[in-house]
Amino acid sequence: MQTQWHLSRRDMLRRSGCGFGLLALSDLLSAEISPSPTAEADRAAHPFAIRAPHHAARAKRVIFLYMPGGPSHVDLFDPKPRLIVDNGKPLPFPKPKLERAKTGNLLASPWKFSKHGESGTEVSELLPHTAACIDDICVIRSMLADNINHTGAALQMCTGEQAFSRPSMGSWLTYGLGTENQNLPGFVVVSPAAVFQGAQLWASSFLPSAFQGTLVRDLKNPIANLTDPSGNIERQRAKLDGLRQLNELHRRDRAIDGQLDARIASFELAFRMQRDAPEAFDISRESLETQKIYGVDDPVTDMFARQCLMARRLAERGVRYIQLFDAPANNAWDHHGGLREALPKRCKAVDQPIAALLTDLKSLGLLDETLVLWGGEFGRTPTAEGDNGREHHPFGFTMWMAGAGIRGGMVHGATDDFGWHSVRDIVHVHDLHATILHLMGFDHERLTYRYAGRDYRLTDVHGHVVHEILT
Amino acid sequence: MTGVTRNGLAFFLAFGCLAIGVESEIARADGENDTDFFEKRIRPIFVERCESCHSASKGKTNGGLALDTRDGWKKGGESGIPVVPGEPDKSLLIHAVRYDADGPQMPPKEAGGRLTASEIAAFTEWVIRGAPDSRTAVPRGHGMTPEEVRNWWSFQKIRAVSPPVEASSKWARTDLDRFILAALEQRKLSPSVPADKRTLLRRVTFDLTGLPPTLAEVEAFMNDSADDAFERVVNRLLDSPAYGQRWARHWLDVARYADYYDANPKTRTASCELTEAWRYRDWVVEAFNHDIPFDQFVQHQIAGDLLPSPTGEDVYPAGLIATTFLSNGVWDRGDADKEKIISDMADDNIDTVGKAFLGLTLGCARCHDHKFDPITTEDYYALAGIFYSSHILKDLGAKGAEYDMNRTPLVPKSIVARRKEQEEALKAAQAKLELLDQSQRYVDMAAGGTILVPIQFLSSPDSRGTIGPDGVVTVDGSSRQDSYTIKAIAPAGDEIRFVRLEALRDSQLPVQGPGRGVTGNFMINRFTLFVNMPESESAPTSVKWSSAKANWEQKGFVVAGSIDDKPQSGWSIGPYVGCDHVAVFEIAADMKIPSGALLTFIIDQNHADEMTLGKFRLSYTSVAPTNSISNVPERTELVAGCERLKVELSVPLPVAMAVEEGGMPGGLFPKIQDVPIHLRGSYARLGAVVPRRMPRVLAGDNQPAISSGSGRRELANWVASNDNPLTARVIVNRVWQWHFGEGLVRTPSNFGKMGELPTHPELLDWLTTKFMDEGWSLKNLHRRILFSATYQQTSQVPREMLPQDPENRWLGRFSSRRIEAEAIRDAMLFVSGQLNSIAGGPADDDFTSLRRSLYVQTARWDRSGYAMLFDAANPDSSTERRMVSTVAPQALLFLNHDFILSQARQLAQRLLAESPYDDVTRIQYAYQLLFGRFPRGEELEIARRIIITHNTEVEAGWTDFAHILLCSNEFVYLD
Repeated sequence: MQTQWHLSRRDMLRRSGCGFGLLALSDLLSAEISPSPTAEADRAAHPFAIRAPHHAARAKRVIFLYMPGGPSHVDLFDPKPRLIVDNGKPLPFPKPKLERAKTGNLLASPWKFSKHGESGTEVSELLPHTAACIDDICVIRSMLADNINHTGAALQMCTGEQAFSRPSMGSWLTYGLGTENQNLPGFVVVSPAAVFQGAQLWASSFLPSAFQGTLVRDLKNPIANLTDPSGNIERQRAKLDGLRQLNELHRRDRAIDGQLDARIASFELAFRMQRDAPEAFDISRESLETQKIYGVDDPVTDMFARQCLMARRLAERGVRYIQLFDAPANNAWDHHGGLREALPKRCKAVDQPIAALLTDLKSLGLLDETLVLWGGEFGRTPTAEGDNGREHHPFGFTMWMAGAGIRGGMVHGATDDFGWHSVRDIVHVHDLHATILHLMGFDHERLTYRYAGRDYRLTDVHGHVVHEILT
Repeated sequence: MTGVTRNGLAFFLAFGCLAIGVESEIARADGENDTDFFEKRIRPIFVERCESCHSASKGKTNGGLALDTRDGWKKGGESGIPVVPGEPDKSLLIHAVRYDADGPQMPPKEAGGRLTASEIAAFTEWVIRGAPDSRTAVPRGHGMTPEEVRNWWSFQKIRAVSPPVEASSKWARTDLDRFILAALEQRKLSPSVPADKRTLLRRVTFDLTGLPPTLAEVEAFMNDSADDAFERVVNRLLDSPAYGQRWARHWLDVARYADYYDANPKTRTASCELTEAWRYRDWVVEAFNHDIPFDQFVQHQIAGDLLPSPTGEDVYPAGLIATTFLSNGVWDRGDADKEKIISDMADDNIDTVGKAFLGLTLGCARCHDHKFDPITTEDYYALAGIFYSSHILKDLGAKGAEYDMNRTPLVPKSIVARRKEQEEALKAAQAKLELLDQSQRYVDMAAGGTILVPIQFLSSPDSRGTIGPDGVVTVDGSSRQDSYTIKAIAPAGDEIRFVRLEALRDSQLPVQGPGRGVTGNFMINRFTLFVNMPESESAPTSVKWSSAKANWEQKGFVVAGSIDDKPQSGWSIGPYVGCDHVAVFEIAADMKIPSGALLTFIIDQNHADEMTLGKFRLSYTSVAPTNSISNVPERTELVAGCERLKVELSVPLPVAMAVEEGGMPGGLFPKIQDVPIHLRGSYARLGAVVPRRMPRVLAGDNQPAISSGSGRRELANWVASNDNPLTARVIVNRVWQWHFGEGLVRTPSNFGKMGELPTHPELLDWLTTKFMDEGWSLKNLHRRILFSATYQQTSQVPREMLPQDPENRWLGRFSSRRIEAEAIRDAMLFVSGQLNSIAGGPADDDFTSLRRSLYVQTARWDRSGYAMLFDAANPDSSTERRMVSTVAPQALLFLNHDFILSQARQLAQRLLAESPYDDVTRIQYAYQLLFGRFPRGEELEIARRIIITHNTEVEAGWTDFAHILLCSNEFVYLD
């Protein structure tokens, strides 16, 4: 995959050294690789032109519902009766070598769990709407990550590496696949508040910068520079025509023109984006009824409802990777204290919008080709921090997946009786990444990029596809 | 698919996988090594498709054949040796994967069936190449055999070479050209004619200064027909301050430079922000402008804090500032795992020093021996010891909190000492003033009023109070926690509105009081007053206080604490013991105390033993006691003194984020010391201790021990030495790349096995030798390169020439390219006349600033800015070269961002003002200003259409025209 993204037909001619004999062949190739024939200039201008993965993909796109701070697995998806029995007792095995706050005593979940759906998967009373969709969801209770701090753990979750700059998962996927809608960014991040680790979480790092996530901070004004301040579209069109004429004269004398063509095309694309992008992001075009189902305008759910509805509109329009941060403020799920009050509040804020998203995708027939992923950088300790909080906990926690290629209504893996260590069918973050790439059509060991003399990949030297959760 | 011939192969490969076909052909042309081919194309097939049945390490070798090692297939299996290098048709492996009849067909159906066409083709190509297999027989250790190490080109001493002698070298202007010409001719290629003068001037001006030439400069050069006209242009540009601003930016890419972490000035955390980074950037600009020899430039950045000041001062600011190279790195800033931060710092430093100076990816040996280069984990931790023995942070910070970076003063020690004296003097003067003021306030607040002479004093049984005739109560006996009860009768006369409690010094008390303990302090936790109305049997009324003031309150123990509901809070007077104090309690407005009423005061003192009052007096007033500060001469003098000192101290001492000797205090390795190998890179699993030293493969087995200091001095000297085979080659290659777009080695930060080989190894060594002979002067190196015919070639060659050297590796032309983010923005400001030339100092926060882009912030946490959109370096790690992406958001910014539109307006104004005559002249003026040339007829036509047809207003038409020119390809591409 390494060189495909920037090879225009002319590039290929130049680089192959084989002259024009290959011309017809390269046409054939571009047809094979991008089903809709695009002009060569467009191809160079669009790093996002569709490219074929290694094998047939189950999923066309990803929606990652990211809960920054680390949601508590033992209070949401991983019920532990033992915690009720042993509430207040010390942890019955050695404390981790690396502690943040001093490890407290076991703390039973203040919330009740009950079985839902045909599958009978247990879900906390805090998430009634998600529970109603549980037969579409595969709950992974045996997640494992390597870092106890937000920065390192969130970096690992989003890029595979804890300390150094690496391309994020969305960057890898848009690099590998391009995107379906050339008039929209391929990788969109929606985060109303600043996220702790910032742009590193959606950075392209050493991949070309075209593949970094486009951050939407202001839900009302999602993309920068999208409107001509003069508002005079005819005048702009006239300018663009003049510009193109001058650029074509300039190009005429120059033998190497791939980049020049690309830049000419980029202005035309920009013009089209001005037209299409605002519509794609504009949730007010949804019926009031739909908005209501997501929870728009209900002060409790409004923000995440808007994010989820935006995600659905973008998914429909072919955006490849959409990452939503539940971020009314920084690290909203980091419940060191105030667990009993704050966790229900966060759950209320996201539960209805998430369920609406799943249901909506399903009714539109999009869930079959959209992979939905929920979780944070880690879970929280089954022990107490203070008397009303839980510490960071990467050693065993829960994430869930739904949609394309995922077996719904199943629980995969388990933590020990206390919810501390993942003990059965452990899914490391690298395994999660390998599985996502697999669903998107990639062998995670072969989606590589040569940088500074080394072939890098999302999973570094790790990762196994978790076949058990796939249909 | 059988019988693939050599000629058909390229077709075949390309059909299967675009990348393969293209890559393999290039590989033939430029000597890209076979390792790459094997690692990328062949090894994955072995792993995925063969090793489930043919793997010695997995213990399954069907047919006796192992394919997981090189020795495995060389040894063969029951059917013989499967590969005959160079002979695909004689290789059983090829027949098997082709599924040829009458033989084994591999992989079998059970193992996934036939390989894809491209995989089969890759195998065939591999056999044709001679079946290179980079899997070593030795499973552990680094990835090169001793022989490979001995022969690896970049580890060889730099050779003395002479330029090839060319008979037909009319084209060649300099010795450099002879190398280029020889390599071209060897490949039956030819060089190109010189670029025209206008193009050349534009090229070299952007190249050396990042700005376009001015109109006057174009004219002067066009009219200068002397032989050395170009030479003089180059020298002029090298002498201009803009040269350093341009070339510093190249180095800052390599140095992973950032101005800040946080782009938002309002939320930056002072303790760990890179507030002083700009000093390093300015130092780099100066170093380029003054042509500091590059070896010294290197030494400064690794160990500048250890260099003596050239002027004999006891501090060497430039040296300290230069080490910001090490401290402006990438690691986590806060949170709990402090040890990991320290090890990440060492790793960042090793990685950056390795890539930037040595062109080696040393960082790869952190967890295991380097997979490809002869660098072991032992080498890594030998170097790590050097960085662990230095520190970048003043303080690691509390668990979960952020750290404090070193801020080392950049002034002589005497000034630092004087500064300290001044700070102490200020503190002393302020204390004196405070003392004076509080005693003055006492005098004011205790003046006037009426003394209440108690009629009774009660305390705990084992202490005793004496009531003097002046109302003063003296307490002795036990000094444990206590509550005093004092009764008095309200006298006739003034209304009681304010009650005063004076705490009085007494020579009989341990430190003269007013408290009874050895501290002299006291704490009044609650001060209450009950009133029994005269002649009344009803219960006493508790007086509500509306405020409380005192002449002096100890920090955190204010007098308001004695009238609130909290039993712990209260009034104390530290550190001013041994003098008199007063508190004034204001009675709420609705309370009237008639004369003759019985007053019962309760003074609760329950903070601790020894914190009870020894001597006090109660009084009252009807008006609020004043607390004016009278300006006695002593006070005036003190105030003036403080102000003077404050003014002097208000200018902070310049400081740098310098590295200092000694391990990180509070870390695992707090001293100057050797460190153990960290197994798999983890500080929690430590192996054997390794003495600090340089990598063996380069510095040899017998290195002198590092006997004093961290070893950074030794490291700096070794890196920047004429004997080091890498450092000089690496920088010469970088400079070449910055001039031509690509280096002679096209992986400028990797001269190891996974890097590319030099296209012109002799030229590289010749340039490097000259460079060192001339004292590592970069300006001389520029001249040597720029004066060559090679540099001055045209980029415009006939289209049919291109396929012969599509990537221009043999330099038979100049490669045209897009200018960088900074140059685009600077050029725009330059032609619009808006560029603000103020140099140096902290970066501006917003890109709409009018200063050069070098002075607009790069923030590690923000990738959304203008520069990143145009492929500026990612400051998270050393950047060897920039990519060029062309995406629609760039065009959107050009079309709609107010900054660009505003430059277009300014440019239009400038055109209207400076060329006031007819449209054609003005269009010509615009073309000269922006592109250094006159417009052609067609261009004039287009321009006139834009200006005239589309708009009725003159200014709007010209603004549109200016906007189009700024957006045009000619403006951002350099021929």
